[in-house]
Formats: sequence, C-alpha cells, structure tokens
Amino acid sequence: MELRDVVNGSRPVRIPPDATAADALVALVENKTDFVMVDRAEAGDAYGIINRRDIVLRPIAEGKPLSTMAALECAHKPVMVMHNLDLDIRWVAKKMANENVSVIMVFEGENFLGSVSDVDILKAIAANDAREGEVGED
Amino acid sequence: MEAGKLTLRDIVRTFELPMVPPDATIMDAMKKMIEANCYSILVPRSNKNDAYGILTKRDIISKVIAEGKDPAKVKVKEFMSKPLVLLTNLSLDLRWVANAMANSKVGTIAVFEKGDFYGYVTESCLLDGIYHAMRRTKIDQGIEFATC
Repeated sequence: MELRDVVNGSRPVRIPPDATAADALVALVENKTDFVMVDRAEAGDAYGIINRRDIVLRPIAEGKPLSTMAALECAHKPVMVMHNLDLDIRWVAKKMANENVSVIMVFEGENFLGSVSDVDILKAIAANDAREGEVGED
Repeated sequence: MEAGKLTLRDIVRTFELPMVPPDATIMDAMKKMIEANCYSILVPRSNKNDAYGILTKRDIISKVIAEGKDPAKVKVKEFMSKPLVLLTNLSLDLRWVANAMANSKVGTIAVFEKGDFYGYVTESCLLDGIYHAMRRTKIDQGIEFATC
C-alpha cells in the first residue's frame, strides 16, 4: 500500500497566524477535527499545524492562559510534508513516529493533494485486510 | 475560563473503552478501534493480581506499521502499555492531568475514586471541558461566543 492510497483530500480547518491557543481549541472542538492548520503570515512564511495533544502538552500542562498564548507557540511549524506518492505507507508511519506527529501534508509538485493522518493509515490497512479476506472466501 | 479553574472531576467521563484480549492480533484491535471510533483500546487482566493494559493508535503506528511488522501476525500483548496509567485525586487541577499525560506519553488515563473505577480522561475530555467552560464564561458575561 502506498501513500497515494491513504491521502485524505478533504480541506483542513485553518486558523489565522495571529490566532490564540484558545482559538485553536475552539476550532478543534467545534469542527470535531484532530488538527488545524495555521495560515502563513506572508508568502515566505511556513504553514503550522496544531493537534489536540499539542494543546494538552503546551498551554494546559504548563499552566499558561490559552487566551493570551499565541497558537503558533504550540504549533509544529513548518508542517511535515511528503511528495512521493509511491512511498510505502510503512515509511509514512515511520516519518510520523520519527517526527512525533500524527498528520502529514501531501503535495504533488506544487499542488496540495490533502493530508494523511495516523487514523487514515489504520483505516486503509484494515480495509485492505477486509478486501483480501473477501477475495480469499470467493 | 482557564484550565486552572477546572478539576479532574469536571472532565472525567464514564464510558467504556473497547476491549481486546492480549492474544488478539493488532489487526483485530485496529478493526475494533475503527468500529468503535475510539483509538485507545483496553486489554483486560487475566486475574486480580494482573494489571490492565492499553493499546493506542500511536503504539500501532510507531511500533508495528513503522517497523514493517504485519498487523495480522503480531499480537496486542507485544505492543500494549501495561500497567494502565491511573489518577485517583478527582480534585486535581487540569494542569496536572495534562502533565500526567505528557510524562507518561499516553492520551488516556483511567480514574479511580476510593479504589473503585470512576471513568476515563482523554485529551479530548480536556479540550471539551475547557471549551465548555470558556463558553459558559462568555455567556455569563453576555458575550456572544463565536469561533475564530
């Protein structure tokens, strides 16, 4: 199974670069999503990404007020990106493990294709196993 | 409302985690996680002297898939965390609940009160608890609560 098989093409929820950690928390909860992207401030800037655990580990665990802490202080920036759609998903999982992230953005050339999360990988592998099981029964 | 004003009691939830036996395969555990839409799974103990274990999506990604192991051939007991991380003080400030998750590198903690199982607290419980507290505070102040 390759990276192209697990890319999730839905557009990620985005928050502005001057958002606070409280804004990020609200966006995560209200959109029922596991991560939000932090927009670039300018063309030369990089995108950031914040997941639920980032909010738990930074402002909450450190006892900092969410309403005054910049979202970017708890973001992974720049976002982790992959380009090689032929890559075996083992290496996508390895990248997540090495970089301690749960979401990777996927580009083909200059074009944004979508994201892949740890849950996307688990679902793809389980679906593939179910399909192989059905073929075996035929 | 900030995290410091909430306690573990305000956010703990009494739900049941899906369970798989320790001899189940990782593929079985993955399918159960997807079916329950819950990416932490409880592994029961074999007797009262044994401890419960827990298997998370992160364990599967980093210890099984990333290492090239076949999820249909390897077993839950090889990759679960055991014993379960516990908290027993329901008056604990949320900051220390978050620290317990950070220090133990888990996203789900079991909560016991006076020796009895009370519920679980997850990363989502923390975020939802703070979200609702923020919302209540804004409503009390007469401020319309709108997302960014």
